[in-house]
Amino acid sequence: MAEDFNTESMLDMYLFENGQLLEQLQETVLEQKDADCFDEDSINEIFRTMHTIKGSSGIMMFDNITAVSHKLEDIFFYLRESHPDNVPHVELVEHVLEVEDFISSEMEKIRNGDPVDGDASNIIADLDKFLNMIKNGGEAEAAAENVHEEPKHFYIAPVATSASRFYKIFITFFPETEMSNVHAYKAVYALKEIAEDILYSPEDILTDEKSSEKILKDGFRILLQAQCSEEEVREIIGVGYDIEKVEVYECDANQFLLGFDFGDQAPAPQIDLESSVEVIEARQEEAEKGKAEADAKSPEKPKIIPGDFVIQSKEPGKQKKLAKDKPKGEKASFISVNVSKMDQLMDLIGELVISESVVLQSSDLKVPGLNLDNFNKAAAQLASISTDLQNVIMSMRMVPLTNTFQKMNRIVFDVSRKLGKDIEFVMVGETTEVDKNIIEHISDPLMHLVRNAVDHGIETNEERAESGKPDKGKVTLSARTEAGKVWISVEDNGTGLDREKILAKARKQGILDESKPDSAYTDKEVYQFITLPGFSTNEQVTEYSGRGVGMDVVVQNIQAIGGALEIESTPGCGSVMSLKIPLTLAIIDGIVMEVGNSSFVMETGVIKQFIRVKEDMMIHEPNGDEFVMIRGDCFPVIRLGRWYGLEEYQESVEDGVMLILEVEDRKICLLVDKLIGEQEIVVKPIPSYIKKVRGLSGCTQLGDGSIALILDAPGLVE
Amino acid sequence: MDETSRLLGQMDETNDEADSHDTQKGKYMTFKSGSEYFGLGIQYVQQIIQYQTVTKIPETEDYIKGLINLRGRIIPVVDVRLRFKQGLCEYNDKTCILVINVKSTTVGLIVEQIAEVAEIQEENILPPPSIGRADKAHHKYVYGIGKVGNTVKLLLDPEKLLYDDDPADGEPAKKNEE
Repeated sequence: MAEDFNTESMLDMYLFENGQLLEQLQETVLEQKDADCFDEDSINEIFRTMHTIKGSSGIMMFDNITAVSHKLEDIFFYLRESHPDNVPHVELVEHVLEVEDFISSEMEKIRNGDPVDGDASNIIADLDKFLNMIKNGGEAEAAAENVHEEPKHFYIAPVATSASRFYKIFITFFPETEMSNVHAYKAVYALKEIAEDILYSPEDILTDEKSSEKILKDGFRILLQAQCSEEEVREIIGVGYDIEKVEVYECDANQFLLGFDFGDQAPAPQIDLESSVEVIEARQEEAEKGKAEADAKSPEKPKIIPGDFVIQSKEPGKQKKLAKDKPKGEKASFISVNVSKMDQLMDLIGELVISESVVLQSSDLKVPGLNLDNFNKAAAQLASISTDLQNVIMSMRMVPLTNTFQKMNRIVFDVSRKLGKDIEFVMVGETTEVDKNIIEHISDPLMHLVRNAVDHGIETNEERAESGKPDKGKVTLSARTEAGKVWISVEDNGTGLDREKILAKARKQGILDESKPDSAYTDKEVYQFITLPGFSTNEQVTEYSGRGVGMDVVVQNIQAIGGALEIESTPGCGSVMSLKIPLTLAIIDGIVMEVGNSSFVMETGVIKQFIRVKEDMMIHEPNGDEFVMIRGDCFPVIRLGRWYGLEEYQESVEDGVMLILEVEDRKICLLVDKLIGEQEIVVKPIPSYIKKVRGLSGCTQLGDGSIALILDAPGLVE
Repeated sequence: MDETSRLLGQMDETNDEADSHDTQKGKYMTFKSGSEYFGLGIQYVQQIIQYQTVTKIPETEDYIKGLINLRGRIIPVVDVRLRFKQGLCEYNDKTCILVINVKSTTVGLIVEQIAEVAEIQEENILPPPSIGRADKAHHKYVYGIGKVGNTVKLLLDPEKLLYDDDPADGEPAKKNEE
């Protein structure tokens, strides 16, 4: 339980925790969506999740969320206790997701400060209907366990000062009080303000529903150590509409340490300090066994009605045990860090590397006759550490695609259900890491592609049966790194693209060059048509696709981050949409070169060739344009020095180096003075104070701290 | 002193009052450019660094000298002399870069020599005198003249210093052609 319960951060905490819970919930649900039913662990997990959300929403007074989660909790309580056989699993999954969506959207409202006004009544009605259905359907089996075990109290009291006074407080609530545990917590929370030490029973008042029942039945007990009078304590607890009676007894320290013994007030729970852990575990196991036997032997036990469970006691130990047994997978632990801090760190490391090179290349070291052996050793060590440091900070920006892929899982599920298609979703390589900025940009395009694959790509079940394909459609989402790029493919085993249909549509829209025969278009060219705005071959506009917006947006978004979309398709067997995106926006591989006194960087990818040319290979046009003839091909030439009016650049082509650049099938030659080398470049924008210069896309700092300008190949080509 | 009189003669009173910043009000970083002392509200000044090599950027105004690397941040630098059309002077070890921050734009100003931080009371700041030639508002960047003892500092409006086009001399034409 959170000891410091700061009201200001409470909302943040609420949103954060519930957000995580919901995410986890969705993951659990989707993991098992294809099974016949949820396994026991998942049922317990969903139940617990809903329970926690209900509890915290109750405290925060978000009634609609409380109500919805309560309903879903009811259903899972029923599932958990009664193990009904014929639960329509897919429907249940949908209900869970529906609830999750509802809570998510309400939480979004909370986050934005909007009123939390979502109407939960429809969902609740649905859930009620569903619950009734499964109850009537699966009447036969119902089992309850009444094995009751006291929660363990392990408790060490802080040292009391002489001024401390000890109180035993006993609060009774009116029997009709709802969520008495929350009310009890309010009292505890108020007392914490003054308490030097506080202990209360039942313990898990916020996380354990049954505590509510216990509080109603046995009352709520608090042991308080504080430096204030009985009256003050009474005042703090107050007598609300929900509290029937507050009894405060003063006692001495020994009694205090003895724990909850309120004399003849009410049967006090035993505090189990003597039993060792093993004993308790053994007892739990016994209880489990007993439960299993009870399940087997006594199906005639009274059926549990939802709502009832509040006054049924359960095994608290069992809940915990299941949680432990569930393999949690290898969940790494994370902390979230402000991106600006990361950037700062990155800048600082950059600076460190620069000052390192300043030190190591200091002219003071060039004095002849110095013995630098030890210095050089230490310097090498320093260099290797700073290189490592740079690599680590770079890797910190990298995030696995797992979450993005998980979202797609949900989309496939939703869309395929709505369209009545039976689709299997496979993820491959979801742990591939990509720069965080890139992930933000690919989420939407990917969503479009996945929707398209489910909607257009995969045929209906009937069509599949007719064409003799396996029943289940299959959408594969895969990611891999290749040649410094990340490839993300969405593959389906549906119909594939219909070349003729696309051509016909293209003709109708007047995109085709009529002088060209259809056969002159390559498959690749034809498929590219579908990325044009307003182009959809789907005759029927569905909820998800067919309006012809989408593919063009996909292409735009991908191009914005320097990526490309490739389409492959085999008629009748399916198609593959591949996004080819750079690993990171922040770092590129570049060739550093020099013109005059300036350094420039060109992205390695666009450079096809370096070549030295002879003067006689040049062709000079009268208007000043120049071309160069290389192996029978003629390329336009840009002399970078002349283009930017730099000083002291090499006039003669024979002294310089030609770079052949290729951008979207256009090739040009760029003349520079000399090449310095290839290195990884951290791209920084040119300060906005300086207006855009043609052909420059950014700047970077080189190893020695000097600044190089990054050339933008497409800009030069134009 | 002929430079000074030229500058003074070309001032007019079309200046706006600069925004008031209470905390550091009345304090000005003064520096020398040409034979004249200028003052810049201290709230704009981020730091002063030694002159360091500037990377030129092609196709920009001549007074934008290029980029420097300021602790991992890349910032543009402006030569104040060129901005005032005082003609280029050689950089030496007195040359400093005054890093200023105006409306979250960080710019370095290359100045010949940093003088001091001067405190100038409001009553000692006079509007720039206008001597007839109001149409030739060559030095709009100066919004006031501060008296310190028996010297004067020309107080600069940093926003205009950075952003204003030169209103006279057919300068805008030059700007547009780029």
